[in-house]
Amino acid sequence: MGTSRRALLISGGVVAAGAVGLAGRRLWLDREPVALPAVDKGGHLLWQNWSGIEHAYPTTRAAPASADEAAHLLKTASGPVRAVGAGHSFTGLVPTDATLVSLDRMTGVLGHDPATHQASVAAGTRLYELGPALAAIGQAMPNLPDINKQSLAGGTQTGTHGTGRGLQAVHGGIVAFDLATPRGEVMECSATSNPEVFNAARVGLGAFGIVTRFTLQNQPLTRVKKVVSMRRRDDLIDGWDDMVGRHRNVEFYVIPFSNYGQLITHDETTEPVRPRGPDTDADGAMQLKHARDLFEFASPLRFWMADHLIADVPDQVSIDEGWKLLSNERPVRFCEMEYHLPRENQIAALREVIAAIETHRSDVFFPIEVRAIAADDAWLSSFYGRDSGSIAVHAYYKDDYQFFYTLIEPILRRHGGRPHWGKLNSLVYNDFAALYPRWKEALAVRDHLDPEGKLLNPYLHKVLRRD
Amino acid sequence: MGRFEPIGLALLLLAGCQQAQPLTEVQSAARRPADAHLAALYDGSCRACHTHRDSGAPLSGDHTQWDARWAKGPDTLLQNAVAGYNKMPAGGQCATCTAGDYAAMIRFMADQPQ
Repeated sequence: MGTSRRALLISGGVVAAGAVGLAGRRLWLDREPVALPAVDKGGHLLWQNWSGIEHAYPTTRAAPASADEAAHLLKTASGPVRAVGAGHSFTGLVPTDATLVSLDRMTGVLGHDPATHQASVAAGTRLYELGPALAAIGQAMPNLPDINKQSLAGGTQTGTHGTGRGLQAVHGGIVAFDLATPRGEVMECSATSNPEVFNAARVGLGAFGIVTRFTLQNQPLTRVKKVVSMRRRDDLIDGWDDMVGRHRNVEFYVIPFSNYGQLITHDETTEPVRPRGPDTDADGAMQLKHARDLFEFASPLRFWMADHLIADVPDQVSIDEGWKLLSNERPVRFCEMEYHLPRENQIAALREVIAAIETHRSDVFFPIEVRAIAADDAWLSSFYGRDSGSIAVHAYYKDDYQFFYTLIEPILRRHGGRPHWGKLNSLVYNDFAALYPRWKEALAVRDHLDPEGKLLNPYLHKVLRRD
Repeated sequence: MGRFEPIGLALLLLAGCQQAQPLTEVQSAARRPADAHLAALYDGSCRACHTHRDSGAPLSGDHTQWDARWAKGPDTLLQNAVAGYNKMPAGGQCATCTAGDYAAMIRFMADQPQ
């Protein structure tokens, strides 16, 4: 009796110590990342990207108010000269210790043509400003990305995209742009004016010059119906091709360590407006985090809990102008890797990604995003020449993301993926050269516009310069 | 003691009347710094999140959300704005703000005297 009571006490103590240890581990891992000094020793203010993994202390910050000012700045400023929009890129496109350029003084709709539904837009305009500004003139962009904070220049220079049947990425709507170059000139670029620059620099990483104005091919303002519903994961995966064919915009999120996913569709409608309700995605992400925190080392319990929470979530239906529904606030910060694969390889790659995460990374709780994007003809577009299916993997901003490179990227590369220019990847010059048929022609244009390499920071040297 | 009770009650009621009330998004969006330079910076950065409840950011001018933050001290808030903290992205998406600009806009959003 005495022995068994002692054994019970010891067992209980071990369990309690284990629970305390796990809780302590989670508290330790969940601490806020150590903040960098706001100012460096030279008195220069810190710049960091949205996710917090890239930073710099630029000696000079500039905000030209016109294309001519931008061209003069590029000709005279110390390099590397890098332009920044909202800082939403996860890759090292922006950091510079020399000159950081903002287009925040070049914003707004500059003119429009009601007959062709084209609009002239200043390049620094943020997407959350552009939607209502275009609506005011009866226009809408054909498609929008998931987040509404990017500048038009930043979004298009990195190939930012939405999802949808036959719908191209945001840069697919560009019919012309003005480019200020390091040679101090401003070039008008379109399919008929400087066409090689139009093709090479439309998705240009800010490495060809600074885009100051766009002409966008928009469409008449329409109302769309957004439906968000929780579905069985297998139904989403097996029914993906069918869903892409049936909806104007469709995407889904696989919720790891559950049997469910979230389906989001948008279709044009004439039904009465039903305004979007308060955001529930941020709370949803945090609930998944709590499930991870509690059951990180008990996957069956985690599946059970997640399925139990998700199964009865009702559909959310909103009806409104597209710019109010297609993009989101996304207040929970994260890091992300996204690759664009040939559509025919997307689902096979997705199955491998899910299996890899659920086998090897019980710390992952952010959903995996699945979208479809139509081909285009910009030479450095990740969608150049092929209809693509994207797969995006996320990690909470406090969590480790190195598994992107070791576990996820090899799968996505094996299936022929090209990385999103603004999202994490480990590729360098030779890798990109093998993925882009017009790579050398594009770089020849770039070198002609920027012979001194003034627009290249250390990251872009690895990407755009052969060793 | 009894004769002080009405006075105490009145003071409590007065304090209750003076308690800050949450702002609506519309009330928050109607605020704008008086200084033109600050207003331009604010429109291009802080305003995008600090007038939308879904962003998770405290609404500009809302004392119910800002007073506890303001109590941390302006230096802490400046550090958090520049280097990022929780949902607050580093720099608040203002690439050309100086430290003085940030300090002034934080003070404006917290609705504290300039």
